Amino acid sequence: MHLTVIPERCSGCKICELACSVGREGANNPKKSRMRVMVLYPHPVIRMPIVCKQCGVPKCGEGCPTNAIYKENGVVRLDQEKCISCNQCLTSCPFGAMFLHEDIEHPFKCDLCDGGEPLCVQACPKEALKFHPKHILGQAHRLSAARSYAKMSKVEYMDDGQKKTLKYAKIRKGGSDDS
Amino acid sequence: MTVKGGYFFKILEVDLTSGTSEVRPFDEEFANKYIGGRGFGARILADHLKGRKKRIDPLGPDNILIIAPGPLTGAYLPASGKNSFITISPATGIYGDSSIGGVFGVELRQAGYDAVVIKGKAPVLSALSIQDDTVKVIPIPHAAGATALEGERMVREATGDEDMKIACIGPAGENAVVYACVNTDWSRNAGRIGIGAVMGSKNLKAVAVRGSRDLPVFDLPGLMEASAEGYALIKSHKFFKFWQDQGLMSVVDYANKMGILPTRNFQETVYDRADRMNGYVMEDRYKIGDSACFGCSMSCGNVCLVKEGKYRGTVTEGPEYESAAMLGSNLGSSNFAYILKANALCDELGVDTISTGSIIGAVIEGLERGFITSEDIDGIEIEWGDEDAILALINKIAFRDGVGDTLAGGARAIISRWPEMARIINHVKGLEQSAYDARGAISMALGYGTSDIGAHHTRALTVFNELETGNNLEFEDKVNFLIYHQTVRPLFDMLGVCRLPWIELGFPEEYYQRFYKAITGLDLSMDELFERSRHIYDLTRAINVSLGISRKDDYPAQRSFEDPVPSGPTAGAVIDRDEYEKILGMYYEKRGWDEEGKPSLTL
Repeated sequence: MHLTVIPERCSGCKICELACSVGREGANNPKKSRMRVMVLYPHPVIRMPIVCKQCGVPKCGEGCPTNAIYKENGVVRLDQEKCISCNQCLTSCPFGAMFLHEDIEHPFKCDLCDGGEPLCVQACPKEALKFHPKHILGQAHRLSAARSYAKMSKVEYMDDGQKKTLKYAKIRKGGSDDS
Repeated sequence: MTVKGGYFFKILEVDLTSGTSEVRPFDEEFANKYIGGRGFGARILADHLKGRKKRIDPLGPDNILIIAPGPLTGAYLPASGKNSFITISPATGIYGDSSIGGVFGVELRQAGYDAVVIKGKAPVLSALSIQDDTVKVIPIPHAAGATALEGERMVREATGDEDMKIACIGPAGENAVVYACVNTDWSRNAGRIGIGAVMGSKNLKAVAVRGSRDLPVFDLPGLMEASAEGYALIKSHKFFKFWQDQGLMSVVDYANKMGILPTRNFQETVYDRADRMNGYVMEDRYKIGDSACFGCSMSCGNVCLVKEGKYRGTVTEGPEYESAAMLGSNLGSSNFAYILKANALCDELGVDTISTGSIIGAVIEGLERGFITSEDIDGIEIEWGDEDAILALINKIAFRDGVGDTLAGGARAIISRWPEMARIINHVKGLEQSAYDARGAISMALGYGTSDIGAHHTRALTVFNELETGNNLEFEDKVNFLIYHQTVRPLFDMLGVCRLPWIELGFPEEYYQRFYKAITGLDLSMDELFERSRHIYDLTRAINVSLGISRKDDYPAQRSFEDPVPSGPTAGAVIDRDEYEKILGMYYEKRGWDEEGKPSLTL
């Protein structure tokens, strides 16, 4: 399963950070959450939750001098016994999805709530966070690419008194994306 | 009763003159009695004024600025991102406050403070930087004249901390425009009463905050239970999705339908082109994203972009209803792209959209009526809907350029220069009226008249209720309902939460009693909470009375008595003076104030 972010839907409310910090750290403190909502304006305009992607090749672990970072059942974890808090993983992660807090001894990261639908996904009021099986990844983009294909033909027709439009891709010679 | 959570019991006091700061504790009684936010602000301000012989110049170093979130701010509960700014207003000369959403107040709480009190005046333009225990006054003379957003970037650079949340003024604040705002989170402005001008007068360009502490919550599982129910209830409301889609822009159609949409400086209250500037137009053609304050699922904020035409590339969060109405229909324009441009310009320069729209509307009408001439306004010829001239005037106001110097002084300065303008500039106590016409609803007129900060709608918005009940209510019911509004709404500002779940989606106020109990451990009834809120209303009244306010100042704008609404659902409506005297007297009585509006409470 994969934690997916849809930044276009995010409102920047940080309810995910609250759900994470309260649920996982027992603290009403967004700074202790294992994710961070970035809100940028006005150039560019984006609201985006930064979450761990549980990478196949965890970059966070590459620089770890004690091999404290390992992957288990699809989740990248930090072995606190081995960790020496050198914080190398914070700079190694290309997404900034490793976190520090002065009250917490080690760097900390998302573990997908150790099974089930993560708390952040449950709490998001905008459906900007999704917990999907891996094969779902890319489906939405494929669908929207197909739907918005530029060279569609259309036919208008009446259905129960309402005007409707049916769009279709015409079969014609050489009619490909780059013709 | 012991206070078991909700507070750090710390007030940060900053003296800009010396560049020093200290932390002052407060006791449980103070927390219990004043709750927080504007409650703390009113008490601190009253203490500051007590025993003074001389009036404080709102723009002098003796004025203080209080920044106060509430005990609920930042907690995991619906819409907990609110924070209040409290000061003596340069627009009205009396008590003033302004509440913002966003995340600024949350950071302040996480830094470990229940309030910040700012005194004195910095020797050069500066930013106050608060990172947990580290408090610094950083000189930033190079930020002079910067827009609110440029200023924010400069302060971020000066502090070297990308995570800082910044409240910054634009040029209007530096130039002491009496309705200058302070801008946070791009477009959340603490507006109306001139917080920005007070900051400018203190050479304080910005306040930057980052905090890392846990919020003190007494009973976290109890809070979680109440807030999970609360979020679910809000989500189940039939208008939840619609509210996420349109937010406050949905009010344009509603106000127009009810006949209270300000049109051409409130000369009319129905706008025939309202359907070109309503929430649907915004959604279809301009909206590119949602924006929410901290912890809020309702996401009122609409990020809008103009994709074509003259204003192409204008991007802003907004407008909300007030801005769209005051800069749009009130100035005779339904061009939504222009409204976005004007809104963005006001935000960047740091002027209040309501006052700006009100003042420019009065200027245009004043020209038509011959109260002022084109020469008076630097040769500008301006008519209804003249976008270029409106935008030029906004710039003149922010920089006090030419006639902008008078307009920047607000309703009072305008009337003192052109006395006839008193007939057409809608204000109470020097604060321009919000975007709801009150002639058809005497309780709303009374709300404007008796609001402690001037003609603003956040204290009481009874107009829709009164119009929808067909005006069949007795005066006594109207006064009771008004006082109920003036009690529950300020309570939200004291707790540090937003009123919109309650007013827009019917979220029951009893939830706040549960939240408050879970966080502070204090088991107060709703009545006991209301009692505290009423006490604050008495206290701000006492502050105002000490500054010269009495019955004579508690009347709605002159136009409310003189010009009947010409057409639409409220056609013919006008406030009758005798009736107003009667309802005002009844209001004082119910408040327990004497016939001059003086409460028994003193500072």
